[in-house]
Parts: sequence; C-alpha cells; structure tokens
Amino acid sequence: MGTLIIVLTYIAYVLIVVVYTIKITAWLKMPPHIRWDLYPVIHEENYRYGGSYYEQPEWWTKPRPRNTWRSLFYSLKDNFYMGEYYKRNRTYWLCLLPWHLGFIFIITFHILCFFAAVAMFGGLDIAANAPHVAGRVFYTILLLTGGFAFVSGTFGSIGMPIIRLADRGLRTYSMPMNYFNYLFFLVVYGSGLLAWLLLDPTLDEYRAYWLGLITLTPPELHPMTVLHIILFDIFLIYLPFTRSTHYITRILAYFFIRWDDEPNLPGSELEKQIVGLLGRKVSWEGKHIPTGRSWAEAAMESGLPETKKDTP
Amino acid sequence: MKKNIHIDDFTRPGGQVTELDPAELDPLPPPYDKIDKPSIRKLTEEQRKRMDASLDGIVAIGLTPPKTPEEEKAFIDKFLAGIKKLFSADDNWTFLQPLVHTLEYCVKCQICSDACPVYISSGRQDIYRPTMRPELFRRIVSKYIKKEHPFLRKIKDSDIDLNWQTLARLGELAYRCTLCRRCAQVCPLGCDNALISREIRKVFSQQMGIAPKELHEKGSVQQLRVGSSTGMTPAALKNILEFAEEEIEEKTGRKIKIPVDKKGADILLIHNAGEFLAWPENLEAFAIILDAAGVDWTLSTEIAGYDSVNYGVWYDDFQFARVVIRQSQAAKSLGVRKISFGECGHAHKAGIVVADRVLTGDLIIPRESSLPMLEEIVMSGRIKLDPGRNNFPVTLHDPCNMVRLMGIVEPQRRILRKICPQFREMTPHGVENYCCGGGSGFAITQSTNFPDWRSAVSGRMKMKQILEAFQDVPGAEVKKYVCAPCSNCKGQFRDMFEYYGVWEKSGILYGGLVELIVNAMADLKKPFIQWEWH
Repeated sequence: MGTLIIVLTYIAYVLIVVVYTIKITAWLKMPPHIRWDLYPVIHEENYRYGGSYYEQPEWWTKPRPRNTWRSLFYSLKDNFYMGEYYKRNRTYWLCLLPWHLGFIFIITFHILCFFAAVAMFGGLDIAANAPHVAGRVFYTILLLTGGFAFVSGTFGSIGMPIIRLADRGLRTYSMPMNYFNYLFFLVVYGSGLLAWLLLDPTLDEYRAYWLGLITLTPPELHPMTVLHIILFDIFLIYLPFTRSTHYITRILAYFFIRWDDEPNLPGSELEKQIVGLLGRKVSWEGKHIPTGRSWAEAAMESGLPETKKDTP
Repeated sequence: MKKNIHIDDFTRPGGQVTELDPAELDPLPPPYDKIDKPSIRKLTEEQRKRMDASLDGIVAIGLTPPKTPEEEKAFIDKFLAGIKKLFSADDNWTFLQPLVHTLEYCVKCQICSDACPVYISSGRQDIYRPTMRPELFRRIVSKYIKKEHPFLRKIKDSDIDLNWQTLARLGELAYRCTLCRRCAQVCPLGCDNALISREIRKVFSQQMGIAPKELHEKGSVQQLRVGSSTGMTPAALKNILEFAEEEIEEKTGRKIKIPVDKKGADILLIHNAGEFLAWPENLEAFAIILDAAGVDWTLSTEIAGYDSVNYGVWYDDFQFARVVIRQSQAAKSLGVRKISFGECGHAHKAGIVVADRVLTGDLIIPRESSLPMLEEIVMSGRIKLDPGRNNFPVTLHDPCNMVRLMGIVEPQRRILRKICPQFREMTPHGVENYCCGGGSGFAITQSTNFPDWRSAVSGRMKMKQILEAFQDVPGAEVKKYVCAPCSNCKGQFRDMFEYYGVWEKSGILYGGLVELIVNAMADLKKPFIQWEWH
C-alpha cells in the first residue's frame, strides 16, 4: 500500500503540472485579439474611479503610468476574498468562499508538508515540543493549514449543493457534474477531516508520508490516512479536467483581455503581429465578404454588391 | 405568471418561449407606475406569419420560416459552419481568446444576472439572464462542433436538439442584450457573456447575411455606399451646414464658417451624422466653441469621414473594419494631425479603441475623444462662461461605450461641475452606470414592436435612474436637463421620453454637453438651449 501511494502521488503531481501547463499554454497561444478592455483597469493611474489615459488631450504624447504590481495584487487577493460574491450574493459567498479556500489550503498544506519533509530529512524535528523554534513554528503552521483546509472544504462541499438547490437561478444552471463534484470533494475533505480528528491530531502521518515520498521509502500509515491520500491523489488527477484552471485563467483574462489597453503604436511589435493577422485568409460566406481573400483585403473592400468578387 | 425557462423551451417547435407581462416589470416611481396603455404592442397575425416572434413576441430581426425541410437543413448546416469559424484563428482572430475563455470558464454563478438592467427591469425573466444565450450557444458547440460523447453531454447537461426555430430564437435573443457589458464587469472569472451575444450576431451576419436592416442594409452598407448611415450625401451635408451657419447667426449673432475639407487642418472632427439631421444644435455648439477657442479644425465630405457611426462594432467585424479604415483614409487625404470624435459613445469605442488593432502603417492616425479637448477649453478660460445661465437641475448620463468601455469618466464631470450649479449624479454612475437601453443598435432599430420593448424593458432602469436623480424637483414646472454626450443615447431618450410622456409629466429635456457649454457663454445675448420638446 505504501508503494502504491508513492507511485500514485508522483503520477498525480506530474499529471496536474503537465495538464495545467498544456491548458495555460493553449490559452496564451491564442492570437492577440481586438481590444475589448473594460474599466476600471487596475494598472491605470485613475483606477479608483475607472479613468483611463484617454481622459487626457493628445494621450499619445503623454506618459502612461502603469502599476502592474497593483493589478497582480488585486487579482490574486480575490482568490481569498471573492469580493463580487460578497457584494452581490452573500449567502452563496458564505459557502463558495470556504469551498474555494479548502482547495487553496489543502494544496498549500501538501506543499508545506513537502518542505517539512525536506527539513526533517535535513535533521529538523517538527513537533509541538520540538527543541528548535523552527520546528515548533513549522508544526503550528502545518496544523493550522491542514486543519483549516479540511474544515473549510467539508463545510463548503456540504453548503454548495444546498445553495445551488435553493436558488432558482443556480438550480436552473446546475448540471449533474456539479453535484458529483460536490460529493466527491466532500469525500476527499471529509476523509481528511475524520483522519485528523480521530486518528492523527498532530498531522504527523502527513509528514511521514512526504518524507517517504522524497526518500522513496514506503511509509507505515493508518488505513484512514491512506484512504484520504489516495482520494486526494485522485482529486489532483481529476482537478485539471474540471474548470479549476480558472484560478489561473481568470488572472490571465484580467491581464490579457479586460485590462489590455496597450495601444497599437506605429512601428511597434504589436503592429507587426497585427499585420500578420490581417494577412490570414477568411472563409465567411456572407455575401458582403469576399471568401478566400485575406482579412485585410476583405476590410479594404467596401463589400457592396457591385464590388463583390466571385465567391464559392 | 412567470415560469422557469429551460433550454427545452427554446428547442420546442411552435409556441412562444415567454410572454412579457407588464405587471411583472420592475416598477417605476409615480406617476409612471400606472399602466395606461399596452406597454408592448402585440404583433398582428400577418406579421406573425411573416416573421418569427417565438422568443418573446418581439421582433428585432424577424426571420422568415423555411418553406421546406431541405431549406431548414441548409439553414442549420450553414449556421453550424459559421460557428465553427468562430473557433478558427484565421476567421476569428479578432475575438477568439475572449470567446473561448467565456465558453470554457463561465461557471454560471448568476452574479452577472443581478448586474443586467434588462434582466432586472423585465421582472427577472429567465430568458434575459446574461447566461442564457451562452448556455444555448455552449450546448450547440458541445454537440455539433466539439461532438462530445453523449455520456459527457449527459453529465454536463449540455445536450440540445437543434431545429430552425431554436436558431431563430437564439438570433432574436442576441438582440435582447445591449452589449453594455455590465455583466462582464462584475464577473470574477473574467468572462464576458455580452461578447457571446455579439459573436452570435456575427455568425448571423458574416455567415448567413442576416442582421437587422437598420444596422446592415440601411446602416453600415448605406454608410459605405453614400457616406452616412442616415443616407445623407456630401451634397446634402453641405446644405445642412449652410443651414447650421444661418442658425448660429440667428441664435448668437456670430458669423461662423464651418470648415469643410480644409487641407492640413489640425483636427478632423467626426460627428455622428444623426446630429446633422436630428440635433443640429449639437454640431452648431461644437462650431461655436471651437471657433471661439481658435481651434484649427475641419469636417470631411469623404465616405464615412462625416459620419462617425460604426454599426459594425455591434454585429460584424468586416463592416466595422471597413468604416474605420475609411475614416482614417479621410483624415489621411486631408493631412490632418489627428481625428477627434464628437458626442457619440459607440463611435468613440469603435474609432479610438477597437480600431486600434485593425489600422496599421500610415492609417494609424492619432484618434481621441473631443471631451478632454472641451475640458481643456472650458478650464483654460479661453471662453468666458457664466454658470448662472445653467441654473437648472442637470444630471449626466454615462454612455457605456465612452465610460465603462474606455474609461473617459471625469472630463465631462469636471465641465458640468464648473458650469452647472445644480448638477447631480445618478446612482450608480461612472463606470457602474446603466445603459440608456438603446445600446448596440437598439436605438435605431424600428422593427415592429421592438421600440416598445426598448422603452418598456431595456431603457426602464435608466428611466428610473433619471427620475430618481430629479426626485427633489419632480414636477413639470421645473425644467430639467439630462446631459447625454452620445447621439445614440439621445435617440433612445427621445423615443423613451416620448413613450412615457416625460416632457409633459416631469419637464425633463435631454441634450448634449456642448449645448450646456454654449448656453453658459457669458457674451451670448440669449440662451442657446431652447426648452422645447423635439
């Protein structure tokens, strides 16, 4: 069993990294699009009221100060706050936030366990009464992170289907897969919660598990913990095939769509890219579009009946 | 009685998906809370036979039903081929990334529904939820484009049975969204359900050749053929300008020659041609201000060079690009240093922002809004202004395209704070504003009972906001002014105020920003704003 969870864990982590990378790369590889920005644009100087550089006369002659750090902070903090839900649907937010925090914290917990195992391998004792303060701090952080993940995730997984069923709009748009996800995630978090509360209050077994992973030594674990670890590995394998990539793509959408206010200036790299895109052939069949011509050619024509070229 | 609407309701042949009940619409304050006439006219039997109205009994595009099963199949096949093109980086590089993102990552959490003025105003009719169109669209993609396995479709609840009527309803539904993008603004995941409306419209236009005739045939096509979507030729323009010059002299005593096709001028000013025909006082006010401030400017008589409208931005990438290219060509042939857009919201967004990634080489001519220039003139003291002349209640409408969609928020406010002592904001305002209800071409769409729908439903939230802004002076005896620096929004206000009898009941007039500036000019003998309903 120990060997199985080691192999399964490695497969799960490799798979999640590979599939996420493929998905994010595919997202980023799509061509630049027409500007479709939406205000407030957070990196703008006057973002507080939604102002843009277009508020200045002859904007192209003026500096366009840009605060990328503010944008990054703004987009990341919402993973921990979910402000729009708080403002607009407080009941939903009360379940949605813990559910999402469950994801973030359980993954953070395992990453921290990895570092704890490395520290243990290096000789650090991690426990409530460890001789070194670092060991005691590490222990406390792990306990808080893991405990919070199990409680929060379990609470969210119970609350989400209830909210979905109770709200007319959400119920209409819920699919069987939503309920399957809530159930599956409840089993994952719930198994972790039970193992923690009933068998492993110090979460010592996770440190042993991660030490086993980095030393390739199958650990001796309680079957309940093993069950949770197997479920968690399946959860990691399943996650990239759900919409969970939105933790990352929502930030990309902010930066590359909603806040993309980069003007196309003569001679810029952007202009070169656009020239390339305008050269692509179009196959639309509307009578006003010259099928088979390039985008630029189609746009240069007036599309009026007398100028319509032969089309299939 | 309102019922829950499901996807099956859209695919069922015959019948109507929903019936709007005036009693369920979001209530307006008195005296507009009494329904004294049918709020939306019913179609005649003849109209129903001729045009599909099976969505909500309203017609914007009014598709004609196919006569044979073969015709129906050909229609569906062609539409599906069009959807496929939306996912091609060649055919749709313009919007591929935002489209794919929205389809893949929307979790249908309904946060956007509460931000949508059409959904709220309709009394929360399911069909108007911003998520409804994408859901229909997503199911079509799942089954017919991605060809997902039936089991997967089952667990994702993404199945759909396609027939002609489903597509006819989808097409109409794409024209129940004003593209104000309030839904996109509140989406925590960066999805844009309004864009899906536009992409559906695009398939209908670019693939099927179907669009409301006011947008295409009498809109962008006419603009590219004669120069303006209004049908106004360059010769007619010159006549109108002569008339405007006479009016300016009559109103102000000033002899101003409006410059036309002036080579080497500093600025090419492009107005929405609707101003020339419906609100000439707007272009007159521009001429008075620019003349007084000593600005070197000109109008153009080239194709699209004297009409800033660009309806393509609402339904067709090619029609959009053709217009912006011709506007740049007009500026290039005059040798101006920059293009400035008059008071028209969608022309701002189309010509300044969206055009940015279509124009290359020597067609990249600097383009800007006229509002910052006006602010500079007002604040610089180049013209003497007396705010006491504007001592009446004024509120400001934020055109979505100019404000939420391009971030021009404060210049117009700073002007109003300086020249209008009784200026007050609507709630909410700025980038969180509500659409006038005429966005995305609705204001010009006159098909059958569609104008009733836009006054009763899509403009309802704005109507409520305006009344609330003036709630301290509700009676018609106090004349009030809604400043709408957008020709399209003014068109909507004209129709909506007429529909509700707002001038008679509340004494509210609408108009542009420049009219207020000229009205405040200290050296004019009489007020520029004429308090007459028109």
